[in-house]
Amino acid sequence: MFDIADLVQPDKGLIDPSIYTDPEIYQAELANVFARSWLFLAHDSQLPKKGSFLQTYMAEDPVLVVRQRDGSVKAFLNQCRHRGMRICRADEGVAKAFTCSYHGWAYNIAGELVNVPMEDRAYHNEIDKSQWGPRQVPRIHNYKGFYFGTWDDEAPSFEEYLGDMAWYFDAMADRYDDGLELVPGATKWVIDANWKFAAEQFASDMYHVPISHSSGFVALFDDPEIRALAAGALAAPGRQFSGNGHGSGFGLRPDLVPDPAGPDFDAFLIERREEIYRRLGEQRALAVYGHNTVFPNFSWLATNNTMRVWHPRGPGRIEVWSWAYLPKNAPEEAKRASRLNTVRTFSPAGVFETDDGENWTEVQQVLRGHIARQTTFNAQMGLGHEQRDLDGMPGRTAGDMFTEMAGRGMYQRWADLMSGLSWQEIAELDKRRREQEEAKQS
Amino acid sequence: MSTSWIRACGIDDIDDGEAFRLDTVPPVSVFRSGDEFFCLDDTCTHEDYSLADSWVEDCTVECPLHQAKFCLRTGAVLAQPATRPLATHEIKVEGTDIYVRIDREREEHREEEHREGAHHGAA
Ligand code: FES
Ligand code: FES
Ligand SMILES: [Fe+2]
Repeated sequence: MFDIADLVQPDKGLIDPSIYTDPEIYQAELANVFARSWLFLAHDSQLPKKGSFLQTYMAEDPVLVVRQRDGSVKAFLNQCRHRGMRICRADEGVAKAFTCSYHGWAYNIAGELVNVPMEDRAYHNEIDKSQWGPRQVPRIHNYKGFYFGTWDDEAPSFEEYLGDMAWYFDAMADRYDDGLELVPGATKWVIDANWKFAAEQFASDMYHVPISHSSGFVALFDDPEIRALAAGALAAPGRQFSGNGHGSGFGLRPDLVPDPAGPDFDAFLIERREEIYRRLGEQRALAVYGHNTVFPNFSWLATNNTMRVWHPRGPGRIEVWSWAYLPKNAPEEAKRASRLNTVRTFSPAGVFETDDGENWTEVQQVLRGHIARQTTFNAQMGLGHEQRDLDGMPGRTAGDMFTEMAGRGMYQRWADLMSGLSWQEIAELDKRRREQEEAKQS
Repeated sequence: MSTSWIRACGIDDIDDGEAFRLDTVPPVSVFRSGDEFFCLDDTCTHEDYSLADSWVEDCTVECPLHQAKFCLRTGAVLAQPATRPLATHEIKVEGTDIYVRIDREREEHREEEHREGAHHGAA
């Protein structure tokens, strides 16, 4: 047994590292965190026509996400109700029906059982097919082309769940009139680390960048002027946001360009400058272009156009599914520049990706130690310096990008869910916390 | 048994590679492959599935359940696991309207011929 209150103390910035290794905690996470939260399923551009489908996971549960005849999207467990085989074994495609490859039970694209082989002879026509469709994901929400799903009827609406993070999410999702598209196909790889290291870093950690990625900067940019630019970006002021377990952090950039994707992408940004400012406002367009996590495991990096889900695979393993995202209808040269930027930096062999993975897997290795597992971690950076609505940026904000406020926020939400509090109780607690912060500020 | 022509649908009701199902008993479907239209029984002869919701290509229809394939011109089985052909029905296009004639007696006669043919072939 474990007591969550002993394990993470966000108000003190203390973390017991057994939360990254304990198999019992991991099982509790599947039930209390993942099965109760809104999880990213798919982007509109991945399901172009009726019958378009993809396989993904909600934590460890395999699900099929399918475009319906009426244009809506359904998702259901990719598990045959006969003896549990994966109903569909293709990663993605277009389907008219899904036939289980074990004994051939067949389901339509809405996830209804439509045929069982030898229904008359073997089942004596006594099976009620309407009762044996796969488990449906009961709630799916389309947020600006991003489909999220939850198993939990009690969970708040997606907008409520997102809360103030919507403003930061929109800086990515709402940037262009034509919207975004994902480069087809997820890039997938497995690393031996707990999912929270990755989710937390994308929510909250700009601090590692000048150290972990210094050799990467040297390798990528010969030109000392560009290197100076990267150094300048880190020296410039920045902000961080934390709310509902989500996090976003960024530097306050003086201009949209130069972008790390290079001159061809710069040309596109300059051409669309008015459009971007009109949609987001100049301040948000320039600032909110950094690291992000929507709790629990959906993250993106604006500067590298990479988006990913950290699928948990046991306490010590992550299956990373990552996509490059692009402005739809951008000129081919701009798209190419953007894709290359993603591949060079954040992909299985990306310069920065491998730096990050090395840290997480090494930390996980160290935690094999009996003593190491019982030695408390420090997550106190910026503790007590939280503010609210700084510069009109909504929610709990910090006046610097070098802080661990969003990490503490993520562990707070994690602990609330892990303690078995109802969503109602969590909402009330959060309200009280917010009132205290507001009182402190005024 | 009706042997008169009935209007099935308009040519614009069916895109290339799609089919339009009529709720006759048993149901039939009008299939479109390129600019050709065909009328056949709708139910796959293997298990139980509506071929209106299947893959239509190059004058064939492939059932998505277990990939049986039929010729849209003759109804013949082109790929297992189905073994019995699909009944075909008369079809004509007048202007933008598609008419079909479903004559089950004619079919039974044809099926008999098919069975005898198979028998003779085996002997
Ligand atoms: S497990 Fe799917 S049909 Fe038996
Ligand atoms: S039902 Fe058509 S091939 Fe089996
Ligand atoms: Fe990093």
